[in-house]
Amino acid sequence: MNTAMTREELEKILDQALQDVTERTAGVRLSQGEQPLGKDLCTVHITFDKGFGTSLTLCADTGLLVRMARNSFHEEAVTPEDLEEFSKEYLNVLCGKITGAMFRATQVPAHFGTPVFYHGRYEPEGQEAQFILTYSDEHSEGAQLIHHVPCAQEDAGAPKQTEQEGDLIR
Amino acid sequence: MSKRVMVVDDSRLVRVQLEDVLAGTDYEVAAYCRSGEDAIEQYASVQPDLVTMDIIMQGMDGLDAAKIILQNHPEARIVMVSSLAYDDTFERAKAIGAKGFVDKPFHQEQLLRVFEQALA
Repeated sequence: MNTAMTREELEKILDQALQDVTERTAGVRLSQGEQPLGKDLCTVHITFDKGFGTSLTLCADTGLLVRMARNSFHEEAVTPEDLEEFSKEYLNVLCGKITGAMFRATQVPAHFGTPVFYHGRYEPEGQEAQFILTYSDEHSEGAQLIHHVPCAQEDAGAPKQTEQEGDLIR
Repeated sequence: MSKRVMVVDDSRLVRVQLEDVLAGTDYEVAAYCRSGEDAIEQYASVQPDLVTMDIIMQGMDGLDAAKIILQNHPEARIVMVSSLAYDDTFERAKAIGAKGFVDKPFHQEQLLRVFEQALA
């Protein structure tokens, strides 16, 4: 059974899931580009707690998330609580879609934890970005979907955790 | 007459989506439950034609809640609505007697087709 997945395959799964879920849940079309993020940001972070040993971070312009929350909840006024609730639920649905696609590709069931919301940018401790997918919408507001993997060991001979856990990500 | 649906999901996003998708159809949302425990408690008084049940919720999960509802009300028609459309989840849902499975985020066509099959 082939349980390995290339970085390109994973990027494709994440990209398709993000575009599909964003359009279907929030009616916002995101396209990949090099749009730099603004200064007013929010981040939601989630950990894949079985099988993959990695995590996913969505860092976005607050204005984009507010618009997505407004569209999804049909509320003109989005409170900070609405924004946090939407961001976490959105990432939950996104991760469900991603883990389903990963399972179909690798036959490895991955489960994810509870999303955590932050104002500003958040970098998970002990992890480093393996790749970043950058998106923007028609209002030139942007988002980054960041796949984090455990930091490489200082000892060059030591295997990375992704390799220890079954060479899931090559 | 509209078919009455009891929605069991702790996600506001999904509840709003379901409301949107069912608007203008032969289905109406009769009750919302935010947990499996709440669904078990409310089922007898709501007496829905159909239940949509999320799987991962705070407290009791949707598979356990569905199992208990079906033990108490064997006539219940339960459709699992979850993002966990992989692994052995689908088989476990079928084994306890769920009538269908819809993965999130759902399409209206897909949802209505599964509803029709569950009520057939």
